[in-house]
Amino acid sequence: MDIVICIKEVPETTNVPWDPKKGTLIREGIPGILNPNDKNAIEAALQLTEKYGGVVTAISMGPTQTDDALREALSLGVDNAVLLTDRHLAGADTLATSYTLYLAVKKIGRFDLVLCGKESADGVTAQVGPQLAEFLDIPQLTYATNIEIIKGNFVRIKQKLEDVYRELESPLPALITVEREINNPRIPPMDHIMEAYRDKQVMVWTADDLGGQMERFGLKGSPTQCLKVYTQRIKKGKVQILEGDGFMVAKELVQILRKRNLT
Amino acid sequence: MEFNLSAESKLMIKAARDFAEQTIEPIAAKIDEDDAIPDDLLPKFAKAKMLGMMIPKEYGGTGSTALNMILITEELAKTASAVYWSLALNNSVAETICHWGSDNQKELFIPPLCDGSNYAAMAFTEPATGSDPAAITSTAHSDADYYVLNGTKRFITNGKRKGYGIFYAKDETEKVTAFVVDKSSDGYTCSKPWALMGLGGQGLVDVFLKNVRVPKANILGEKGKGFNVLLRWIAGERVQQMAFMLGMGQACLEESLKYAKERIVKGRPMTHMQGFQWMLSEMHASIEACRWWTYRVASKQDDGDEIQVDSAALKIFVVPTIQEVARKALQIHGSYGYCKNYKIERLYRTIAHAGVTGSSTEIQKTLVGSSLARS
Repeated sequence: MDIVICIKEVPETTNVPWDPKKGTLIREGIPGILNPNDKNAIEAALQLTEKYGGVVTAISMGPTQTDDALREALSLGVDNAVLLTDRHLAGADTLATSYTLYLAVKKIGRFDLVLCGKESADGVTAQVGPQLAEFLDIPQLTYATNIEIIKGNFVRIKQKLEDVYRELESPLPALITVEREINNPRIPPMDHIMEAYRDKQVMVWTADDLGGQMERFGLKGSPTQCLKVYTQRIKKGKVQILEGDGFMVAKELVQILRKRNLT
Repeated sequence: MEFNLSAESKLMIKAARDFAEQTIEPIAAKIDEDDAIPDDLLPKFAKAKMLGMMIPKEYGGTGSTALNMILITEELAKTASAVYWSLALNNSVAETICHWGSDNQKELFIPPLCDGSNYAAMAFTEPATGSDPAAITSTAHSDADYYVLNGTKRFITNGKRKGYGIFYAKDETEKVTAFVVDKSSDGYTCSKPWALMGLGGQGLVDVFLKNVRVPKANILGEKGKGFNVLLRWIAGERVQQMAFMLGMGQACLEESLKYAKERIVKGRPMTHMQGFQWMLSEMHASIEACRWWTYRVASKQDDGDEIQVDSAALKIFVVPTIQEVARKALQIHGSYGYCKNYKIERLYRTIAHAGVTGSSTEIQKTLVGSSLARS
């Protein structure tokens, strides 16, 4: 059971300022963390390979500091780590990201499963996994809360939708995106953390290493263009507490609402 | 001068924080209340490779540094739980055996401390002495290949739990020698645990040694020079204890900030009021000062420098500073801070321990003062 996991480094805080001119997040100086949902994907991959054997390879696209997210994956037990980093890859939307990851997965070669977190904590699009499946031309099973391998070469997941759960099956290879509730990610032991930084390697692939069409990478290959970024203005209100007899309070409330054209 | 922590250290901090939040915090209040630490906790520390942090891998350790040990202690300390002491002792006693022990002693005594199957203990204090080696009354009489130990040891953490401890007794030359003692030996008995103001679950007992036979091969370090073993251990232990204080101080600040942001006074959160802002800022400044000095002394330990005086001076500063942080945290919480429903109550009680345990703050002043006088 060889598994490729796609992971991302995201800002540690949700309070990341926007650059109003470029329409991008200002990440400088904000520490990055491994996307929480991707930790679930790693845990799911490790549980599967512990049961069925095989190799887990983590790939991530980003600037050089993304190395830390991959080292964390290695400390958790992932076998190989690949960093996709190049100035041509910068500024990618979900389509260009998926295209780049597709080339990387193809370069890795053999795999039975590709696992992704459902979505990243910063972008929150949940698009990369499904788009990657389309590029790879393999079945996609999304929002998994359980994964099991059946009949040797089929996978069955429990899919979480808004109000219901569904069971889905597909032949391997396939791509699965996982929900947070699928598992409780393990904590890396201290010696594994040391090994991840001292003994293990993170392979670095550039756009040239991946091949593909240069115009489909990064900002150039991104049809999504952010025209304007603005922050919602929050009007500060004042709390008014109406006291007294219930009927009279209700009557007063209706009058206030009418006065403010809120009825 | 390098002030940045390595990426490896930062990931260790994060792992320790996750461990503390998932494994200790949910049961910390119950451990304190029941005065009992669950048996499965030490093996969990072992699985996380937090025991034997400074021990080479060949003896089952992690092969890391004193600084990384301090960093994870700081995170675990935020739970204000006595479980810290089990972690600290297994680490520091294993490190002491690693430093002074023979190859045979290392192979025999260290792996069980790193794999969480044994609880370490350190036994110097007696009913009539805490820091004075001359006042020790425990004796060790030579008998063929053994020493026969007699005496009473006071306030021994994990004295009752399975494993090995380093015990100090006067040998036939009237000098203090350190012995590694199996706590399941014949003649080894314990009192019931002392009821403490805080640190419920620490398992602090008196140990009674009545003709306990210890192989001569278990003498740690040089015969008659046990006090050297103790002094070196206690210097490292002080730094760990200050990291424990530092983590609890940080928890005081975090709890206070959380409370002050939610508590509305005259229509505004408490954090908008200058008086509370000043208290919070003083707490933050105090903690930062403690943090960097603690890291500095741990780094010196890693460099192989002598830290007897540094660690004593550190304790002189950190203990009252963090105790003042706790006092401010209690004030910010008002009456709620005095209620057991609020974590600050446990933090306050636990923080009170450091000035009087692991040798008092006043002893540190004597140590530093006499060193300055000699210089």
